[in-house]
Amino acid sequence: MKIIIIGAGEVGFHIASHLALENKDVVIVDKNANALRRVSDNLDVQVLQGSGSSPTVLEEAGLRSAEIMLAVTNSDEANLVACLVANIVSPSTKKLARIRNADYDDYHGTFRENAPYIDTVINPDIEVVKTIDRMMTVPGAVDVGEFADGRIKFVGIKVDEDSPLNRVQLIDLPGRLDGIRLLIAAIMRDEELIIPRGKDRLMAGDLVYFITASEQLETTLATLGKQEEPLRRVLIIGGGRIGYRLASVLEERNLSCKIIEKDSAKCDRLADRLNKAVVLHGDGSDQSLLAEENVGDMDTVVTLTNDEETNILASLLTRRMGIRKCITRISKFSYFPLMATIGIEQVVSPRLSAINSIIQHVRRGKVLSAMSIKGEQAEIMEAVAMETSAIVGKPLRSVGIPKGALVAAVMRQDHIIIPSGETVIEPDDRIIIVSRREAIPQVEKILAVKLEFF
Amino acid sequence: MHWRHVAKVVGVLTIALASTMLIPLLVGLFYKDGSARTFVMAIAGTLAGGAVLIFCGRGDRSDYVSQREGMAIVALGWTLAGLFGALPFYFEGHFPTFTDAFFESVSGFTTTGASVLTDIEAVPKGILLWRSLIQWLGGMGIIVLGIAILPFLGVGGMQLYKAEVPTPVPDKLQPRIRDTAMILWKVYALITVLEIFALWGGGMSVYDAVNHALTTLPTGGFSTQNASVAQFDSAYFDVVISFFMLLAGVNFSLHYQMLRGKPLAFWRDSECRFFLGAVAVLTIVVSLDIWHSVYASLGDALRYGLFQVVSIVTTTGYATADYEQWPAMSQLILLLCMFLGASAGSTGGGMKCLRIMLCFKFCYKELFSLIHPRAVSHVKIAGKTVPDDVLRSVLGFLSLYMGLFGLCTVLLAGLGVDFVTAFGAVAATIGNIGPGFGMVGPVENYAAIPYLGKWLLIWCMLLGRLEIFTVVILLVPEFYRK
Repeated sequence: MKIIIIGAGEVGFHIASHLALENKDVVIVDKNANALRRVSDNLDVQVLQGSGSSPTVLEEAGLRSAEIMLAVTNSDEANLVACLVANIVSPSTKKLARIRNADYDDYHGTFRENAPYIDTVINPDIEVVKTIDRMMTVPGAVDVGEFADGRIKFVGIKVDEDSPLNRVQLIDLPGRLDGIRLLIAAIMRDEELIIPRGKDRLMAGDLVYFITASEQLETTLATLGKQEEPLRRVLIIGGGRIGYRLASVLEERNLSCKIIEKDSAKCDRLADRLNKAVVLHGDGSDQSLLAEENVGDMDTVVTLTNDEETNILASLLTRRMGIRKCITRISKFSYFPLMATIGIEQVVSPRLSAINSIIQHVRRGKVLSAMSIKGEQAEIMEAVAMETSAIVGKPLRSVGIPKGALVAAVMRQDHIIIPSGETVIEPDDRIIIVSRREAIPQVEKILAVKLEFF
Repeated sequence: MHWRHVAKVVGVLTIALASTMLIPLLVGLFYKDGSARTFVMAIAGTLAGGAVLIFCGRGDRSDYVSQREGMAIVALGWTLAGLFGALPFYFEGHFPTFTDAFFESVSGFTTTGASVLTDIEAVPKGILLWRSLIQWLGGMGIIVLGIAILPFLGVGGMQLYKAEVPTPVPDKLQPRIRDTAMILWKVYALITVLEIFALWGGGMSVYDAVNHALTTLPTGGFSTQNASVAQFDSAYFDVVISFFMLLAGVNFSLHYQMLRGKPLAFWRDSECRFFLGAVAVLTIVVSLDIWHSVYASLGDALRYGLFQVVSIVTTTGYATADYEQWPAMSQLILLLCMFLGASAGSTGGGMKCLRIMLCFKFCYKELFSLIHPRAVSHVKIAGKTVPDDVLRSVLGFLSLYMGLFGLCTVLLAGLGVDFVTAFGAVAATIGNIGPGFGMVGPVENYAAIPYLGKWLLIWCMLLGRLEIFTVVILLVPEFYRK
């Protein structure tokens, strides 16, 4: 499978590294020779210097034989033009574009049906705001994802010393939690991801990912000792694109919201567009300003400036001033492993969101959504079981699920099945699979349609 | 630096090398020349060596290869290939010392073609085939072959590839390095097979045709005959071999493009034009020089002139004539050809045409900016600006090449070798040609070089094949610092 990526920035680089490890043929196009050098030094992909919106460059990159083209440069305009030109050169290639300007929000469908024919428009800002929203509303969650149109939730929580999960062997788990079906899909322990088996024991300090039906989430979390706290007051530090989007979402829900922004022109614009939110002009890491605004009384702080060091400092600062929940925006992937050590647990990244929304379109088989778990060590996929794929019609134990992968949940019509080795997948079931990165190609294989049926 | 990972990769490569010894083993059995026993012993030795290395690398779990490790793997891999490849020669007995066997083996893998054998025809056929086969393996690169067939080298393969094939401007034919390596080897094998048929069709025995094809394509130059290609004394063979040597001296990605239906690829590539143009001009000059003075007819002068120019400039090193009897100008042209070398991305050695072209263009740019001090000008190849760091590394390469050449010449002369021989032997080994001048001329061999001198030349051959940096970097203390 050949994939062309326009733009060798952070998003392009990480998608490429994702795909190259899965043995896909990746070509990256960028104007910047230094960015390309970083790619070719680290990844087994082909690089091509030139403009992604030039037809000759696209031809040279082999667009005609490519299945998918991803336009993920920093500029919306460049991405749009690249898709437009790609559509002329090779109409059959699937096109994905990252477009961030909010003005385009209502036109995503139009782009699909009209001239550039962009199959999927990705706006990571929307995804990030959704993620922040989920993190704010699910108590204690470090990471939250949704599958099956929101009916299944995928939640990561930290196991504390006094948690009922501490020192429990997974086999004994059903007995410990009265009547709640909880499937532990993955455990993050000391930066290493474990796909657990029955004999594994949970320990304090683990980050545990579990899957549960949405309506059971609240009771589940309550049993696990994570109580719901009402969300009323939110402080947003950084009034950029994402800050504005988040504030308007909160406004709609009648939550009280304050935004701190350093740039006075941006403040003016925010004050102009928002009606109820309090817009404050100042530095988010300025302790006296935070004290003046009674930060200690806030329920949640979200730090969203473009400078991640500022975000980290502001989060640590507000946490010291008594806020329990801080959501921090981080862009540099190399910072992720550090976050848990310095006490920042809830992290959002527009780039990671962009990657998550892109990879699901690259997967073979009928994959509806996919997200990668922190540190990109594993991925969770939601797929439709097709009549002819290998996973259907046999008990799971004899399907040959690769090592490092786990069928975490099955959705049949409206009810959710937590599968065992005897469960037989039927056509049109929706299955949720957790898989370590290296097992992904094999998982794709069992999900894909068998060739002999063509 | 993960030495365990280095040991593991090199260990697996060593075991792969042992398996290639099965081919001459079978040939030895077929001809019943008694070499089969030698190969059984050599295979056992190589397997044992590989097992020790893999044992040293046990518990290694890193899947990332840094540039530094890549260079260490390649440099160590080549040295050990030379060492284990020498085992059949050593066990067989035609080579007096292990130094001689090692010299012959490194000369094979690096596609130099310098031999210490005085009577080649007395050596069993299995051993001679091994001698040709290691040239063929070394020609496209043992690491590149490893990347193509050993899947676990795929990760970090690019670092290894860059360390083994350090062209100034690397071109990847396919998105994945493994596919690129596979294509290069397939093209290489295909052209080799074509040459076997061309030689066999012209009346050469199958055995000789296979051996000569195996040493033409890597621009190696080992022959099964004492007098090299001159033994056959056939204009047809001279022309066929010249043609295939030229093919081997061209960037193999151009062959690939041509096979994919772009016949003009040769002409469009400026380096290829430069290379073929240089061959044409030098052939004409040399032929005119030797016409009358050595050969009576123009036809003969052209035939021998062409063969010798192509053989030296592609760094193959076959001989059809004793060029030391030619006029001084022709000899000097051939000496300069040793430095020029073939195209980047070919199997030939030397400094490579691309680097020389870049050097010329750079010099012209300097002159140009003396005349127009405020002009903004770039060095361009095929209409594309060459980045400054590429130019810097080319100039660094050329100065290291000349510097090491000078140093080795002085050292060799210090070991008691005469002026012309020292000069010719170092030029011929560092450029991976084979025959040089003086005591190591086209009708002589390297047997008479002193013991220490052989070790020096072994090092020169590795320097030339891995294009200086990968080998020299192992001598820089900074390389080992944590």
